Amino acid sequence: MNKGLNRFAILVACATFFLIIAGALVTSNDAGLATNDWPLSNGQFFPKMVGNLFWEHGHRMVATTVGMLTIALLIYILAKEKRQWVRRLGVGALLAVIAQGLLGGLTVKLMLPLAVSTAHATLAQLFFCITVSLAVFTSRSWIEARTLEEDKGSLPLRYLCTAALVTIFLQLIIGATLRHSATWDKDLPTELILAHVGGAFAVTLALGSAALNTLLRYKGHSFLTRPATLALVLLSVQLLLGLAAYLTRLASPNDPQPLNPMIGITVAHVACGALVFVTTIVLTLRTYRVLPATGVTIDLTSRPQEFKVS
Amino acid sequence: MNKQTKVWLVLSIALSVVLAAACGGGTTNTTNGPANTETAGAGPYSGPTGTVAGVVSFNGTPPAAKKIDTSADPVCGQANPNLMTDETVVKDGKLANVFVYVKEGTVEGGKKIGDYTWATPTTAVQLDQNGCHYKPHVFGVQTNQKISITNSDHTQHNIHWIPKSNPEWNQSQPNGAPPIEKSFNRAEVLVPVKCNQHPWMKAYIGVMRTPFFAVSADTGAYEIKGLPPGTYTVVAWKEGGANGTEKTMQVTVPANGSAKADFAFGEGAATTSLNPSLKVMPAMEIPLHH
Repeated sequence: MNKGLNRFAILVACATFFLIIAGALVTSNDAGLATNDWPLSNGQFFPKMVGNLFWEHGHRMVATTVGMLTIALLIYILAKEKRQWVRRLGVGALLAVIAQGLLGGLTVKLMLPLAVSTAHATLAQLFFCITVSLAVFTSRSWIEARTLEEDKGSLPLRYLCTAALVTIFLQLIIGATLRHSATWDKDLPTELILAHVGGAFAVTLALGSAALNTLLRYKGHSFLTRPATLALVLLSVQLLLGLAAYLTRLASPNDPQPLNPMIGITVAHVACGALVFVTTIVLTLRTYRVLPATGVTIDLTSRPQEFKVS
Repeated sequence: MNKQTKVWLVLSIALSVVLAAACGGGTTNTTNGPANTETAGAGPYSGPTGTVAGVVSFNGTPPAAKKIDTSADPVCGQANPNLMTDETVVKDGKLANVFVYVKEGTVEGGKKIGDYTWATPTTAVQLDQNGCHYKPHVFGVQTNQKISITNSDHTQHNIHWIPKSNPEWNQSQPNGAPPIEKSFNRAEVLVPVKCNQHPWMKAYIGVMRTPFFAVSADTGAYEIKGLPPGTYTVVAWKEGGANGTEKTMQVTVPANGSAKADFAFGEGAATTSLNPSLKVMPAMEIPLHH
């Protein structure tokens, strides 16, 4: 285990989280087309950062920094890490950040088509997932973790966590679509709002079951209970932020410009959503690390019950 | 399609598919008017003409103008320290910035107004970015008529119009840059214009095939000249909310005479006419869903 590598992976994950916040600020401020230029802004590497160009070009600068950090992380991994699959994941991180940069450019050049903007927002979450996973895989707790006793529940916990993770990811895609389907001065489409609300119920159910089962079945095993507790806390905050984001966004078409309450709350909702996602990733990865693969077994070789007719 | 556009397009499609995140696209554009290339063959109109004129009023207390926070760009604050919204500009009960236009109608003799061809003016309409504000705020042009966009501010702007039937367009314009000339080739009422650098900056362009449109002045007055005698549907559009509000009236324009069509917005607004010869339809308030 290389402590320096793990710390650097954590740094990249934190920088990625900051990048997600910077990207959310671009959307909430309606700054995505503050310049029609890409990768430069108005033909300059360091333009005068006034008005919404501050948010758009600032996002590009943070993204460039994260790109550089990802390259450095890959070099670090290739130099210090022996596990092939971790090395491959490092390569995956670099490919993802390159693709993300290209999507960012595309969405500016094509004037924010919904599909490209949504893909850009979704890949941001996946890239965050990769950087957090790298931080997890290079950590001491991961490497030294010991297998726990067999899953006590009727449904294997790892499957519950995976189901929660997939549900959250789908909800993130719906959320990204909703956010990019209308600017602050337009009404959001009702069908997407309803889909996102439905998604919130599904996530609450899926993540709630996964986290509560973790807490009930593995009390005292902080390797699992910590991310489960954190996921529940973040989920509660996220639901409240979602309601607040809806209310502020509902009023924004009548505002003269994007106002700070709407900007702050919608950005916090995006950021908290990303944290719910990665906390669930950590929980899921850890269940796969320490819990045995067999939870429920279906014995296909057993004989069918014989009935005797008297 | 040039090579660069093709490259962007291919990359876009490939990445979108690979990421499987391209959901919910495909909004359908509604065509608001035919391309200017379409003509019905009646040729230019020649004959007597009349006028539609009126006043646009606002009933009740208008919504208070909202203060705009220009702190994101100090130049805007210096140029216009008390910048306010101008969505509803009312003076002595009269409403400015209402786009009034002849939507359709039948000329005496039975031909439709749209059957005739109407020459495109050779003079460009000016759109200036001045004090971090669009001047004029609402205006009309004919299809293919030039719009000359200037930046009088000591800061950079970007002009971004978001039509439904015409191509979307976004262009940065630094201070001191030469004017940009653009035009629309399809009729569309109304095209929103915004500056993504200063998100409070908004303007609206009514793009018409005919020259029969006007914008109400500070006195609420408007006048549409040169109409062939006939019966027309006149529409008044006022901005506000997501898509604005329309009111419609039917008027009969006499040869060498004038028809009066007054519009009213606000509380309990009803369309009025002071011309007894005028055929008046009840006012209809139509929320627009483009």
